Amino acid sequence: MADDTVTIAVASPFTGPAAAYGDNIKAGVSMKVAEINEAGGINGKQVEVEWMDEKCDPREAATVAPKIAQNKDIVGVVGHLCSSAHLAALPTYTRAGVPAISPTATNVTISEKNTDRRGRVWGFRNVYRDDFQGQFLANYVKDVLGLEKIAVFHENNDYGIGLKDAFMGEAEKIDLDIVGVEAYIKGAQDFTPQLTKLKNENPDGLFIAGYYGEGALIASQANMLGLDVVKFGADGLDNADYINLADTAANNTYMTVPFLAAAAGPQAQEFIKEFEKEQGRSLDWMSANAYDAAGLLLQAVAEVGEDREEIRDYLISIDSPEEAYEGVTGKTYFNEQGDSQKSAYVKMVKDEEFVPAPKQMN
Amino acid sequence: MLEQQLINGLTLGVIYAMIAVGYTMVYGVIELINFAHGEIFMLGAFFCMTFITVFGVPFYLAIFLAMCCCAVCGVLLDIIAYRPLRNSPRLAALITAIGMSIFLQNLALMIWGSRPRPFPKDALPEFFSQTALTFGDVKLTWLQLFIFAVTIAMMVGLNLIITKTKAGTAMRALAQNKQAAALMGINVNRIISFTFILGSSMGAVAGVLVSVFYNTMYPMMGYTAGVKAFAAAVLGGIGSVPGAMIGGVILGVAEALGAGYVSSLYRDGVAYAIMIAVILFRPSGILGRLVGDKA
Repeated sequence: MADDTVTIAVASPFTGPAAAYGDNIKAGVSMKVAEINEAGGINGKQVEVEWMDEKCDPREAATVAPKIAQNKDIVGVVGHLCSSAHLAALPTYTRAGVPAISPTATNVTISEKNTDRRGRVWGFRNVYRDDFQGQFLANYVKDVLGLEKIAVFHENNDYGIGLKDAFMGEAEKIDLDIVGVEAYIKGAQDFTPQLTKLKNENPDGLFIAGYYGEGALIASQANMLGLDVVKFGADGLDNADYINLADTAANNTYMTVPFLAAAAGPQAQEFIKEFEKEQGRSLDWMSANAYDAAGLLLQAVAEVGEDREEIRDYLISIDSPEEAYEGVTGKTYFNEQGDSQKSAYVKMVKDEEFVPAPKQMN
Repeated sequence: MLEQQLINGLTLGVIYAMIAVGYTMVYGVIELINFAHGEIFMLGAFFCMTFITVFGVPFYLAIFLAMCCCAVCGVLLDIIAYRPLRNSPRLAALITAIGMSIFLQNLALMIWGSRPRPFPKDALPEFFSQTALTFGDVKLTWLQLFIFAVTIAMMVGLNLIITKTKAGTAMRALAQNKQAAALMGINVNRIISFTFILGSSMGAVAGVLVSVFYNTMYPMMGYTAGVKAFAAAVLGGIGSVPGAMIGGVILGVAEALGAGYVSSLYRDGVAYAIMIAVILFRPSGILGRLVGDKA
């Protein structure tokens, strides 16, 4: 078995409340793997994927990680999707020496927890960090959108809290007024009490630090209560379903994304078309990042073979724009903490469609 | 702001009440906590959506068809999972209920996929999204009025069925003493099926209303709704139908006020704190009778 295949693991939520996000990852990785296999595989070996479901739950992730570590056929991991799950799995990966590339986990603390005792990085990510996103957003809404009074909604997990903290820290520095902060848990459906409370403060901007499922509900319920404000958030909002679910209430929402189809290069445009044909929906950044994360991991295998340690060494050696991996999301290379240096783009919803924001801030 | 919060809470509360009624009826009759009831609620939403999008059925008819489908599911659930365990220890049935809940969630995941779906809006009557009443700052939409009206109509209908029909009388007899009821010539299994039909079809309506109100449905939506409805049933006195209605409304309002005035993170906490307080000081719930009565 192991002799004629290369096996990678993909750890993400495939069931549970976050299953829809896991599907984005699955779509991206599947397309990369199919592409490689059709071209003859890696050194003549076909690539196989072990899909590991962790429900975006830290406990499940901590159970899945040892399974991956013990299966010696697995050369590395694409995942995890959620920051909380990624943080829970990292101790196992660093102890057992499993290279992991998260396409989506943006939490700040990951940068410190991804090294083993000798200080070698095992956890990589080809996405920016929340502190960058949060600070970026604070500056963007103040300078570009001219907002003054912001109400904050955040999901009560590592992603939402990290984003909120970075945003509020920066807001204080640049004199952006925060008029209320509300938290919610994943899967919550009713936000009317919190929105009613925030409405009394007359905000002109609503920051949604969470994912699109709940974000769409917040937007549409704000609309229902007559709270007509500019909505904005980070990459968690970026999915066609945000518009499907919130409908006209989605209009006037701004979001930072690591990947903007309209701003992508010619190689990416081809992939975007291919993706639309195969998946029947427009490309989201999660799938694009997952496609590149799998590509990066498999390029490492192609270069140095199936030894986990050598794959790690190879990945950390990609440390400058000259050596960067050229994927659909642009150039990916890592700093000494395993974090990639990516800029943020701003998208907005206009007439129930995603369009690039008229003004970028790069 | 208080008025708006009360309306927010009432809308949520009447929906909890509808789900809680299904729980409590099944418990009243066979003393089983039917954890799969939340999934029946979820299936109601998905059936309705499927009838509209795949078969092009109009909205009101789709609700009725979803009720029928869920009634069938409820009866099948009983026949397949609970009837064989009718005389086993209660714990066995409880575990089976949890198993069925997980099974149905994953079945829905396989059939409809994991992505959250909007409710097919084109099928909805035009006036739903319009504001019906405004007092000062407070807005009430036609949809909210529709939800109140449907809930009240269903509750009244249910009460009539339970108190005025033969099957309803048999249900109440069964709730008091299964053996004695059987000796009086009541077909126990048929009445239990009837209970599942009533509870499941109300759950289906609740599922449709929730997915219309929030414009979203996903396979896992039954879980939280189920837990909340369970709390509402306990609050009102498990086994008592009017209790479940009152419990649901109290829970919804308490949640809205808790989230609005205390902290949004404590909204579930407020709900459960009330439930725990009731269990501590009035174990039978607001309108329940002590289980000991039954022995």
